[in-house]
Amino acid sequence: MSGTEPRHDYLWDRTGPPDAEIARLEDILGALARREPAPALPLPPQGFLAAQWVGAALLAASVIIAVGGITLAYKFRQPGAAWTVTRLQGSPTIGSLEVGDRARLPVGGWLETNERARAALMVADIGHVEVQPRTRLRLVSTGQGSHVLQLERGSLYATISAPPGQFFVQTPSSTAIDLGCAYTLSVDEEGGGLIRVLVGWVGFAFGGRESIVPAGSACVTRRGVGPGTPYNERVSPAFREALQTIDFRGASPDAPPALDLILAEAEERDEVTLWHLLSRAPADDRDRVFDRLAAFVPPPTGVTREGIRAARPDMLDAWWNALGLGPRPALTK
Amino acid sequence: MTDVDDLVRAAQRGDRAAFGALYAQFGRLVHGVLLCRVGRTEVDDLVQEVFLTAFERLSTLREPSAFGAWLAAIARRRATDHLRRARPTDELPEDVAAPARPHAEAAQILGVIQRLPDAYRETLILRLVEGMTGPEIAARTGLTEGSVRVNLHRGMKMLRESLSGTQRVAR
Repeated sequence: MSGTEPRHDYLWDRTGPPDAEIARLEDILGALARREPAPALPLPPQGFLAAQWVGAALLAASVIIAVGGITLAYKFRQPGAAWTVTRLQGSPTIGSLEVGDRARLPVGGWLETNERARAALMVADIGHVEVQPRTRLRLVSTGQGSHVLQLERGSLYATISAPPGQFFVQTPSSTAIDLGCAYTLSVDEEGGGLIRVLVGWVGFAFGGRESIVPAGSACVTRRGVGPGTPYNERVSPAFREALQTIDFRGASPDAPPALDLILAEAEERDEVTLWHLLSRAPADDRDRVFDRLAAFVPPPTGVTREGIRAARPDMLDAWWNALGLGPRPALTK
Repeated sequence: MTDVDDLVRAAQRGDRAAFGALYAQFGRLVHGVLLCRVGRTEVDDLVQEVFLTAFERLSTLREPSAFGAWLAAIARRRATDHLRRARPTDELPEDVAAPARPHAEAAQILGVIQRLPDAYRETLILRLVEGMTGPEIAARTGLTEGSVRVNLHRGMKMLRESLSGTQRVAR
């Protein structure tokens, strides 16, 4: 900025009294803004770019180097001391105080946005969270290797660059566990929620129920039940509805036809969904899920129908590993 | 704001989460640049295409601090390609298929902005549609704050004149 005396200029930076016509245009044109949460970005599979240049042999090396680079970068970072809140739009509040351009969110503090407000949070030194309108969240704790937010309602966009399992968002129905990723998470008035993963992986857990959600996929959660089965964002609405029937109304008479629909529509891209259903479908139906998944990824040696019917963790892990998606992340320590 | 240079360097090393962060931070910029030029129903798909192109070419970007300007240039080229391949017309696409009435007035005003000179329409859309402030626009596009401020005020003056003319004609 230039000039020696401070001057308010609403068009420039929204300082000073709003210009009535500009405010009216903002209201009207805001309907055309980029919608939030943003659609998932379907990045090519890991290693795609390297493969273009150097072939398969260097591909593996590049992955190792990338992982090592991230780890080293993390190791030599300065630990973050505080969570800074930056106002992006409107008037977010911390407690009863309006956030100016910047403020600090203390442990235990609540950050709230109304229908016109947005804010950005720096997650210690590991990432960034954009808080969307009509959101209420609390910083539960932050310290070396563990950062916890509580999202009571509304939605946020998180991008985290740290080893898995350091950033958690508690919701009334599940906890989102960062596994090195970017995602949106929203919570409705009933405490249910939806997570959509843009990059990497997110774990979603409640009680002993866990879902692992990869990029390009989403997962619904319901209060009292926990996370549903993750699904690829390209599946049909009927597929999504059928999954919700199985996940949240599993004992209803609608569940068997719902599973019929899922198995009929499932494609190779749905292997993560099918893997979760191995242990979530009614025991009598698990053979059918077994057969459908086996059509895309054969069960590795040692994995048996009997073991899957009994939801044996060692066999589920073995089949997960056969999907070629990397080791199954441990969501609970 | 996170350090964009660090994110770009990390993404160049293959850190997909870092690229996700760039997608989050620069999404509104790309959306706005495209919205200046193509119909709004096509913008979401094109935003994704622009970021996928950027992801593929990221290794060619030598100066991380130029990421925003580089990305905006990709978006402008993508919009031009899109219009070239679209049905033959010399006019900017109209949003005649507005799905909801509340969007009708917005689409009408957008049409007026789209007819302003390049520099003004892009800055105005980033400010009025995407909700970015002048300093944010400067930081994201690589323009100087002085240029952005001038574009905003001159563009707003032209927009006011155009809108008052439109309203007179409408009466």
